[in-house]
Amino acid sequence: MNIVTIQNGDFLVIKLQGRLDTAQSSIVEKMFLEILDHGHERIILDCEDLDYISSSGLRIFLIAQKKILGVSGTLRICNLQPNIREIFDISGFSMIFSISHDLVAALNPDL
Amino acid sequence: MVAIFGFVPVLLFLALLFLLDSFKLVKPRLLVLCLLYGIAATGLSYFFNTWVILSTGISFESLSRYVAPIAEEFLKALVIFYLVAARQVGFMVDAAIYGFAVGTGFALAENTWYYWNLGTDFSALLAIIRGFGTALMHGGTMSICAIFLIEGIQRSSPAWRAGFIGLLAAMLLHSLFNHFWLNPLMQTMLIIVILPLALYLVFMRSTRHLQQWLEVAFSSEVDMLRMIKQGQFRNTRAGQYLASLKEHFAPDVLLDLYCFLSLYLELSIKTKRNLMLKENGFPVILESDIPSKLTEFKQLRKQIGKAGEMALYPLVRMRQRELWELNQLEN
Repeated sequence: MNIVTIQNGDFLVIKLQGRLDTAQSSIVEKMFLEILDHGHERIILDCEDLDYISSSGLRIFLIAQKKILGVSGTLRICNLQPNIREIFDISGFSMIFSISHDLVAALNPDL
Repeated sequence: MVAIFGFVPVLLFLALLFLLDSFKLVKPRLLVLCLLYGIAATGLSYFFNTWVILSTGISFESLSRYVAPIAEEFLKALVIFYLVAARQVGFMVDAAIYGFAVGTGFALAENTWYYWNLGTDFSALLAIIRGFGTALMHGGTMSICAIFLIEGIQRSSPAWRAGFIGLLAAMLLHSLFNHFWLNPLMQTMLIIVILPLALYLVFMRSTRHLQQWLEVAFSSEVDMLRMIKQGQFRNTRAGQYLASLKEHFAPDVLLDLYCFLSLYLELSIKTKRNLMLKENGFPVILESDIPSKLTEFKQLRKQIGKAGEMALYPLVRMRQRELWELNQLEN
């Protein structure tokens, strides 16, 4: 799993690439916590290159969401591949997260 | 003031166990039910033990070593057996907490009785021994009984066997405690050290098990439901297996089997999602159509009958945990 972070305006964009499964989830969780510790409160998870997500991965998203809500920050998810989007829809996690079609929409939700 | 030692430790321990339940498996109203039942069980035990002494002339020592452990643990366990039979217990963590709550209720009532009858003779030392030793023993034995029961059922042991082993373990430990082979204070110290450690290890194991179960089952259920929703189920091995059943079932029953599977997957995924939400401190989501889907699921279960459920065994088995899952949505 590759993780690339880019500062885009007020938002820190985290590009997740590869598979977010049990083996990777602890690494990603640690990375999220480090990012939050550095004071980033407006985050976009760009999942354009995320091929697979398991329940461990979803739990990492939930942990991030909880931490960010705790500091009144913002977490948005964008560019979900259709198969991943379906997982969110089937399980009802779409109701929990703010999901945008692409990065532009995530950066400017009012457009 | 001295009496506090007799009541507070076991309540604090119960509160600690409740807080350690990271997936919030325990329902507060059932916890209160267990506490109240424990109190009622003390009354029943008191009358039974008194009756045994009066009718047999047995010494108090023999009663406390052999008769009381059997009667008291049996009475305490009844509510645990009921909760398991009603599919209200899914894992070792909730089993242990409900079990401990029954023991807590029992110990609180028993210590109240001692305090009431002994008055000023209820010394600090006695309060400490009863509060830290006897009270934690009552909670611990019922926790162990509940853990054995649920673990046995999860390993596909017959419920009666798992229940018997759990109950036997609780009775033996209780009897061992009442023999006082060690100095009572030493015995109390041992309980203070061993019980939290043992329950902590059980909690760790159960939580790890729950996470593994979530990981494996959630992904496979989402995959299967996705294939069903996309109309590609027949291309999967599971779909081919279901199609192969047409030789054994009428078309309408086959349709019910298909609907049953699809509905089960949908409801099961929602329960797992809610567990993940609870673990992370989010409120659970209960979609407005869940009650009607649960009703439909129960109806389908009746319609396919035992034969239909057995035919679906390779795909889904309606065991303790699966039925517990559906109960989570119902409640």
